[in-house]
Amino acid sequence: MSDNIPVSPTMAKVRLTLFGVGVVGLLLGAYFLVTKQNPMQIVGVAVWLLGAIILHDAILSPIVLGVSVLARRAGRRVSRVVLVIIQGAVVVGAILTLLVVPEIYAKTLTPANDTVLPFDYAIRLGLMWLGLIIVTGAVCALYLRRAARRA
Amino acid sequence: MQTQPVRRLLLNLQKSVAAPTRNPRLAVVLGRFLATAFLICFATGLYSHFLQDPLPWMHFPTSPANLYQITQGIHITAGIACFPLIFGKLYTVFPNLFQTPLITGFKGLLERASIALFVGASLVEIVIGLLNTYQFYPWPFGFRETHFALSFVIIGSLAIHIGVKLPIISKYWKKIDGYGPGIRQSAEERELVDAPLIDAVPPGIQRAPGVKQAAGLTGMLFRWIDDTPSVDEMPADKRETKVPHHSSLSRRGFLATIGAGVGAVVLLTAGQSFAFLKPFNVFAPREKGIGPQAVPINRTAAAAQVTETAMDASWVLTVKNGSIAQTFSRAQLLALPQTTVDLPISCVEGWSQMATWTGVRLQSLVKAVGGGSGAALTLTSLEKEGGYRVTQMGSEYVSDPTTLVALTLNGETLDIDHGYPARMIAPGRPGVLQTKWLSSLEVS
Ligand code: HEM
Repeated sequence: MSDNIPVSPTMAKVRLTLFGVGVVGLLLGAYFLVTKQNPMQIVGVAVWLLGAIILHDAILSPIVLGVSVLARRAGRRVSRVVLVIIQGAVVVGAILTLLVVPEIYAKTLTPANDTVLPFDYAIRLGLMWLGLIIVTGAVCALYLRRAARRA
Repeated sequence: MQTQPVRRLLLNLQKSVAAPTRNPRLAVVLGRFLATAFLICFATGLYSHFLQDPLPWMHFPTSPANLYQITQGIHITAGIACFPLIFGKLYTVFPNLFQTPLITGFKGLLERASIALFVGASLVEIVIGLLNTYQFYPWPFGFRETHFALSFVIIGSLAIHIGVKLPIISKYWKKIDGYGPGIRQSAEERELVDAPLIDAVPPGIQRAPGVKQAAGLTGMLFRWIDDTPSVDEMPADKRETKVPHHSSLSRRGFLATIGAGVGAVVLLTAGQSFAFLKPFNVFAPREKGIGPQAVPINRTAAAAQVTETAMDASWVLTVKNGSIAQTFSRAQLLALPQTTVDLPISCVEGWSQMATWTGVRLQSLVKAVGGGSGAALTLTSLEKEGGYRVTQMGSEYVSDPTTLVALTLNGETLDIDHGYPARMIAPGRPGVLQTKWLSSLEVS
């Protein structure tokens, strides 16, 4: 990617330093892992790392791709600004959902005491989506009214 | 205009991958935020680590008293903010995934490997960090050790990644030369630079730094799609002529979305760490002001198996310095001069709670057994087991006048879940080191 950009001598030095820092970091990380965890645990870490890469590259990316294709198809019928607003709202809601779903699950595992995971996160997540829909609807309506007035 | 369905689908596919949000400048903008958040997490994480496992020469500030409350609150909050940032970042570089051949030469292999490591380690790091705050540990390895080791892997692979991309990063650092100042481009061409990374790139724009025509299979695929008569051959009224408008719209929309995502996750969770955000605490795993005596807890007396020993009428606190030892019953401690301080309980999990404590200055107990001002202590709890049953306290905390053997909390007798009959409370330390159910203090 960086092929067509010339590299100045200073930049080359900075680069070398960064590579040095990088290698030291990787070695330290490996050292801490190997000295503090037993082989089975290290295998566990490796499996999680691999799982994260696979989850990202093989599952999430194609899903995102599919969704954006759908959105773009809809884009022919709907105002682009409205589409961008709705897309943004869905993404924000999805991120919050991703963070809260494991929390809902964790709460089913009997937390250590009443001050751990004190809320009803499922209901709150539902209310969040409701609020998001209302706010997004209002923003879109506002935009469309303004656009209509301008036109 | 008639387009074959398959081609139309592919055209859509290509257009969506070549969305204007994915371009070097945007990757740099997001990368800067992400790198900043990572470095903040790394620094605050290291601080938390060394507070718990200090190197022999280390001393820590005891003021401001809420220093750890702030650093660890920032750690968790910046950590949660990493989620939208990393998703956005991965999205901006996402077309690179569809590039074939995947690996070009040794340099390419190193580049790919460092990125794979970086992505994998970052995702695992933030996910286990988040789940840890839910006290949910579905992994077969030690959290602290792995979270610690991976933080070095992340910073290391991040440094390598930045090194590899340095030319591009410096080129796109400032907005003004965000589009390759060496190349004369019309405004429209510049806007196009925003768009394609793997698209069939117009020749003039291919010279822009960091813009690369996709090679191999993907490139062929996209070139084939591009043969499809598209916008230009549509009737004029249906033509998408306003490329600049569109690309900048979706770029702004994208940045606004990531910004809103960061804003939402922070606003709706940071109330567990920062009191002024408490009204917005919707999703945090903790809430300020709940629990016995309005202070949340992690380990209950039952979990620590101290319900009997802590209530035993013959309980005494033993204070030792070499061969000198003194014991204090709770009544004797209460008879000593009492000090009241406001100090937070600040958990490693990021939540915290300010509270008012009354008890005996630790300093005076240490003096009673002849300990000097440089004395450090070994604290032992009644707990039957656990990693924090026996802990060390550095001399900076022992000599601090606000460090107390606390007997009351918020004006009431210490609740058993808060460490009755007596607990330690010191400024600037993580909650795990604020030993509850004290049994003995020994000058070390
Ligand atoms: C790139 C991001 C991150 C880096 C570099 C990082 C780094 C660190 C480091 C070095 C420690 C000290 C570990 C030790 O005491 O040995 C730590 C502790 C911790 N981190 Fe992170 N962290 C990151 C993200 C997160 C996230 C996203 C969360 C949660 C939302 C999180 C939660 C925690 C917790 C709960 C601890 C305390 C562990 C303990 O002492 O028991 N971290 N982090």
